[in-house]
Amino acid sequence: MKPANQIRQWVSGVGAVAVTALILSGAAPGLAQESESVSVSAPMVKGTLPVDDPNAAVWSTAKPAKFPMSPQVHWPNRILETTVKDLSVRALHDGTQVAVLLEYADPTEDPDDAAAIEFMVGDKKAHFAHGQPMAQVEGGPVNIWYWKNKDKKGVDMNAMGFGTLKVQTHQDVKATGAFSNGTWKVVFTRPLATEHPAEDTQLALGGFINIAFAVWDGRKDGAGDLVEKGSQKAVSSWWYFRAEAPPDYSGYYYAAFAAALALGFQFVLIRKLKKGQAA
Amino acid sequence: MGGSLVRPVLLILSMYVFLKFVVPNIPGSAPLPSSLIFLYLMLTTTGIVIFATLSRESKDAFFAPILNFLTGENIGAMQAARYGFLILFPLLVGWQTYGSTATSDAPPAENRTIHPAPPGEYTGLSNPVSKTPENIMQGKGFYAAFCSPCHGGKFDGKGPAARGFNPPPANFSDPTTIAMLQESYLFWRIKKGGVGLPIEGMPWKSAMPRWEVELPDEWIWKIIMGEYDGAHQSPRTWE
Repeated sequence: MKPANQIRQWVSGVGAVAVTALILSGAAPGLAQESESVSVSAPMVKGTLPVDDPNAAVWSTAKPAKFPMSPQVHWPNRILETTVKDLSVRALHDGTQVAVLLEYADPTEDPDDAAAIEFMVGDKKAHFAHGQPMAQVEGGPVNIWYWKNKDKKGVDMNAMGFGTLKVQTHQDVKATGAFSNGTWKVVFTRPLATEHPAEDTQLALGGFINIAFAVWDGRKDGAGDLVEKGSQKAVSSWWYFRAEAPPDYSGYYYAAFAAALALGFQFVLIRKLKKGQAA
Repeated sequence: MGGSLVRPVLLILSMYVFLKFVVPNIPGSAPLPSSLIFLYLMLTTTGIVIFATLSRESKDAFFAPILNFLTGENIGAMQAARYGFLILFPLLVGWQTYGSTATSDAPPAENRTIHPAPPGEYTGLSNPVSKTPENIMQGKGFYAAFCSPCHGGKFDGKGPAARGFNPPPANFSDPTTIAMLQESYLFWRIKKGGVGLPIEGMPWKSAMPRWEVELPDEWIWKIIMGEYDGAHQSPRTWE
């Protein structure tokens, strides 16, 4: 064989492989991109859930999601500047309970420092501002988990519109805060599922639900009045929360089966082609 | 063997390079989605096969090297590439299957309509406030007091309260916002706020206040004039 012919063979052979790869990979979904935080993902822990320990080492196994905060300007009474500008959120679950850790910078520890998590309840969308009524969409209620430093406990609440905030008769939420070096760490805990689906958000494994956050810096102004109180707080938009389901390996099984089928197809095809060439 | 495949292979590779790297750099263009590139490559391949099979001679010349490559007959030094292909093909099929069946970590996709249709009673309203310098100045004052915390003192959507909100407050200096809309549309959006949006506008996410409960209509019309003037835009008209 002439060297020139050999080179041409190589070009076409390698090229055919490359083209096949290009065509196949062109149809394949893009590789997962490093996304901005739009979702809090709660992996399952095997050991004890750190329900009342914001500094437990196991928190480092949960990837933090970072969300920007805005002063609440949507409805009166407004506030135009708040202390907390960013919130870092981690979450874990053990198959029975979920624990959510909020972490944010606050220069001073005050008795009225407070934080809250808000969820939609059920299938209906709810406005992020306390589930207020929407003109053309029938909204649902929101479930609010609230913690205040001086109260040292979590409060489970509901709202469906301004002025409707109500503490539930059944309290399922626990909360603990720890302040250190200008940083608050607050853990909220609740069973993944409760017996009150009309009031409590239900955290089904693997499902995405809407979540939002609010933070109050309990500092006081020169006159001794709270600067951030009630609707005057730092808020986030709706984001997503998911308690991760146990690992699902079915994708690997399907892939192995498809690869085996392709291999079998190749084998049969080449056998047939060889028979044809021989004939 | 193999010579008749060089040109098709080069053609498909050039097509891929063109679609992937050249098209996005053409002014006014954008990167093509991989599904579209795949479609174009399939069309190119189909065209090549049709062209190659126009006559019996060209068909044999086209397919013979492929058949030889697959069966390994008389391909000499190409055996290594053949084995590589035979191993790679099932692996690619497996990868492709995994990609389409594995559970996704991505939250649900949200296709929010930015400018949904307004209710009938808000279409075609004209601004009842006369466009005098005094009224525009007053509108800018109201804008500074009520709107600029989110929409920004420079009308660019970057006010000090904007960063936490998703969707972000509208940037009025962007030609795809108020310049595309009539004054009556702005009147509806300011008056009814985020909660007035229809379902495709995802009202549950909007932080836009419902200003009708706090501001008289006349102020809203003046704010609209101030917005257009401050952002150096003109309202869309039918003329």
